[in-house]
Amino acid sequence: MLCLLAGTAHAQTAPPDSARLGQRRHRLGEVQVRAVGPERFAVGSTRLELDSATLSQYRGGNLADVLQARTPLALKYYGPGQLATIALRGTSAQHTAVLWNGLNIMLPTLGQNDFSLLTVGASTSVAIQPGPAAALYGSGAVGGAVLLNSAPDWRPGLRGSVQADAGSFGLAGGSLAATRTATPSVAVRVAASYREAQNNYTYTLQEARGPVRYTLQNAALRHQWSLSPDVAWRIGQAGELTAAAWLTDVDREIQSGVNIVGTQARERDQSRRLVLGYRHVGARQQWTVRGAWFEDILNYRDGGAPSNSRVRTTQAQAEHTSALGARGSLRLGAEAQHFAARVDGYGSTEISENRAAAFALLRYDPRPVLRLSANLRQAALPAGLAPLTPTLGLEWDLLAAPDSAAAQALTFKASAARSYRAPTLNERYWRPGGNPDLRPELGIGYEGGLRHRRAWSRRLALESELTAFRQDVDDWVQWLPSASTGIWSPRNLRRVRSQGVEASTALRLRQGRYDGRVQVAYHYTDTRKTQGSAADSDPVGVQLAYVPLHQASLSTDQHWRGWLLSTTLAFTSFRYINASGTDFLPGTGLLGATLGRTVQGPANTSVLLLLQATNLLNQSYFSYPGRPAPPRAISASVRLNWR
Amino acid sequence: MRKHLIPFLAGLALLAACDPKTEETPVPVTPPTYGVYILSEGQFGVGDGAVSVFNKSNKALTPDAFGSANNGAKLGDVVQSMGVQDGRGYIVVNASNKIEVVNLTDFKSVATISGLTQPRYFTSTSGTRGYVTEWRGPYTSYLPGVLSILNLTTNTVTSRVTVGRNPEKLLALGGKIYVPNSLDNTISVIDEATGTLASTITVADGPSSLVADKDGNVWALCSGFVSYLSVPPYTLTRISNGTLVRFNPGSPTTQLKLAFPGTASPGKLRVNAAKDQLYYSFGGAEYQISTAATALPTAPFIRRSFTGFDIDPRDNSIFAAVSPSYNSNGRFIRYQATGAPIDSFEVKVGPNGFVFY
Repeated sequence: MLCLLAGTAHAQTAPPDSARLGQRRHRLGEVQVRAVGPERFAVGSTRLELDSATLSQYRGGNLADVLQARTPLALKYYGPGQLATIALRGTSAQHTAVLWNGLNIMLPTLGQNDFSLLTVGASTSVAIQPGPAAALYGSGAVGGAVLLNSAPDWRPGLRGSVQADAGSFGLAGGSLAATRTATPSVAVRVAASYREAQNNYTYTLQEARGPVRYTLQNAALRHQWSLSPDVAWRIGQAGELTAAAWLTDVDREIQSGVNIVGTQARERDQSRRLVLGYRHVGARQQWTVRGAWFEDILNYRDGGAPSNSRVRTTQAQAEHTSALGARGSLRLGAEAQHFAARVDGYGSTEISENRAAAFALLRYDPRPVLRLSANLRQAALPAGLAPLTPTLGLEWDLLAAPDSAAAQALTFKASAARSYRAPTLNERYWRPGGNPDLRPELGIGYEGGLRHRRAWSRRLALESELTAFRQDVDDWVQWLPSASTGIWSPRNLRRVRSQGVEASTALRLRQGRYDGRVQVAYHYTDTRKTQGSAADSDPVGVQLAYVPLHQASLSTDQHWRGWLLSTTLAFTSFRYINASGTDFLPGTGLLGATLGRTVQGPANTSVLLLLQATNLLNQSYFSYPGRPAPPRAISASVRLNWR
Repeated sequence: MRKHLIPFLAGLALLAACDPKTEETPVPVTPPTYGVYILSEGQFGVGDGAVSVFNKSNKALTPDAFGSANNGAKLGDVVQSMGVQDGRGYIVVNASNKIEVVNLTDFKSVATISGLTQPRYFTSTSGTRGYVTEWRGPYTSYLPGVLSILNLTTNTVTSRVTVGRNPEKLLALGGKIYVPNSLDNTISVIDEATGTLASTITVADGPSSLVADKDGNVWALCSGFVSYLSVPPYTLTRISNGTLVRFNPGSPTTQLKLAFPGTASPGKLRVNAAKDQLYYSFGGAEYQISTAATALPTAPFIRRSFTGFDIDPRDNSIFAAVSPSYNSNGRFIRYQATGAPIDSFEVKVGPNGFVFY
């Protein structure tokens, strides 16, 4: 979060020489392989990036932990290690596309991701792009997209680290990360992590006889494994072959609400993701082909029957990017996905489904201070064509360009986009109730804002960003019981409007060996159902459940010699717990902090000691109704680095 | 920067503080002649089950009487049913495995009966004797349930009698407790004096609710079986149709059986104060039948699907509950005895029943 402004400034600034296709450079001896990321075509959008320093602090944890601690984004969170879903700009869990190395990894059955299953250490970069962006990221990028990438480190030699963690409530874990450039043309990276936690903390319930203290039951994270190796092989002057894998295995108890007595629910989630890609980067054009194979297993059981599911996704992507004169670039591409699902809820036969999409992305900078993009995607789904999803973006430097040496820079940005979400496999095939006639949801959104940078010297700078947005989601899918049979079935029932403001400002000071940053961020998100069909009884005009109207955070990061101190104070206003707008979870203000100390050792080694605390003010609150959040929790990590 | 920080922080603190107002109003004392208690199951796992109190004389509604009267305490998960005995309410909270005992004049908690498993319905025969049906086993393979005999002085379980599978809405009549076993085709009869199983009456598949009529007959509404596979994909297959069964306790094997068509499963048998009219739900509508009838009615009484239905014995007015989804609050609708609607009120999520006191 703290590098949000820097990230946006760099990611979306046009290189002065537009013939140069991209900004990301992989230096490799004398050769440079410059690849153009999709963000180059996301002109006018907001982008939050978690930098490697932040990710490094949380590398034993999961994405839900880091997003909650460091961003003012709304997560629906059932407790530590339990289900955690994101609600970008007030939309639902299924409205945020999650991409890993450019490939959609949303669980095809549920159409969403459990952010507790996404380990932080597996990725080398994490970026969040709020707002509709289906032209770039495909189905599900209605509220936004979360982009996870892993890339090897091309710096020569072997470098790596091992870390051990221990913390409150039976938290124990360890992680390893290592990269090695074996020869000048081959780079290898491996990251692995393990974590377990008892989560047996105490909480207090208000009962008729007074407050009563209990210990949380059946909430342990039995184990969480993640292993992610990457290999990149430079072929010739312009080619790069990459292979990456991400294997995760989580066994956890499912906490079913403290008012439910004696449940023993368990869930096993395993994902195996493999991707093989080849990229050719020429002076004025580049092309990429990728093939991927994923297997996602979700096995749930409680006192009754187990509910097992296994989905195998095979997909291929190809894209070609060429320079258009000196000022533009055009990317044309296509992708296809094949799902094979063996899910207890679909019956005894395997269900398969194919989807395909073609896209064209255009970036054109008429002048260095005016950058434009126009993107288009058309997807084909089993029930017919998905809505055509175009995006238009604009950035205009009103004052000097942000990356110029000018003391002040101001950029106007705006974008408009349509987006869609393909019906999930559960929505189509679940028996009983699955609805094969379900239409894709359609989103239409607009945003505009300003980016400002003021530098007083090389040491002191203030960066701010203000974005206003409005978006509608139509044909919003809701499961409702049938009046005659009582069978729950998904239907396209309603239209939801979300509008709001996102503001952030960050002050950075570098003085001698001190490097500090203070950032405040505020999100206002007003999301309401604006119309619905007769069958949809939820009231119109009420703020949606679990979407807080206000969220704000104040974070600081300070480095001095070997010391590191980060703090985050995050406020969330009350959230309704159902569609009626009467019952709610109260607002919370939570303080977290990290203290670190690096000590240099012999032979290019160093030791980092990290002390991390969450809920420092020891607030007693519920993260979800019936799910008490942990009290103050401390964890300690020791990391040995070598290079 | 620092200068601006303080007002910003103050602003943030305000954000966290500006929650909507919660109603902590005390429960108005409802004269026994006017009190209606509406049970709302709540959202599963959220623990927001509630009992609303409605005063018929002034139409005052307290949405969550238990929370309001007991410092915001939660009633629990899935409020299933409630019984009344000697000015006390016995609220059966299914997933929380308990019965909350409240004083009906102010709804303050008196005791909690614990040690139950999957409790369903409560009845009582005196201020010291209560009964609750409980299910046993997981949903994939239910086991014979129990009738727990409660000591209402100590609010504990005194003994248990094993009955059939999934015992439901029981009936106390003439020194006997009749327990319909909804996953079998039987009614277990427990002798009140000895607290033991006296006999088992075979009726039809799926007896789920019982009432007694003015002639002392017992009516058992048997829902029939729709077997859905107990494992996914839960395919539905109708095994047997519903049946309305009448018998006299003196000769329980002599039964009048009225068979329903296989298009739906009947449920929620109720009786009016004069005990000469029965009501039940079938296929998305509510039907009325005289206790003298020998055939089922073909025209519905109210053409609407309800999750709860009952007749106020004090004036025969009808209360019906609507739960549009389990993601938003429900409503109850009042009807005149003729079936003409009067008015409706919003209550908590998932209303399923009414108690009149």
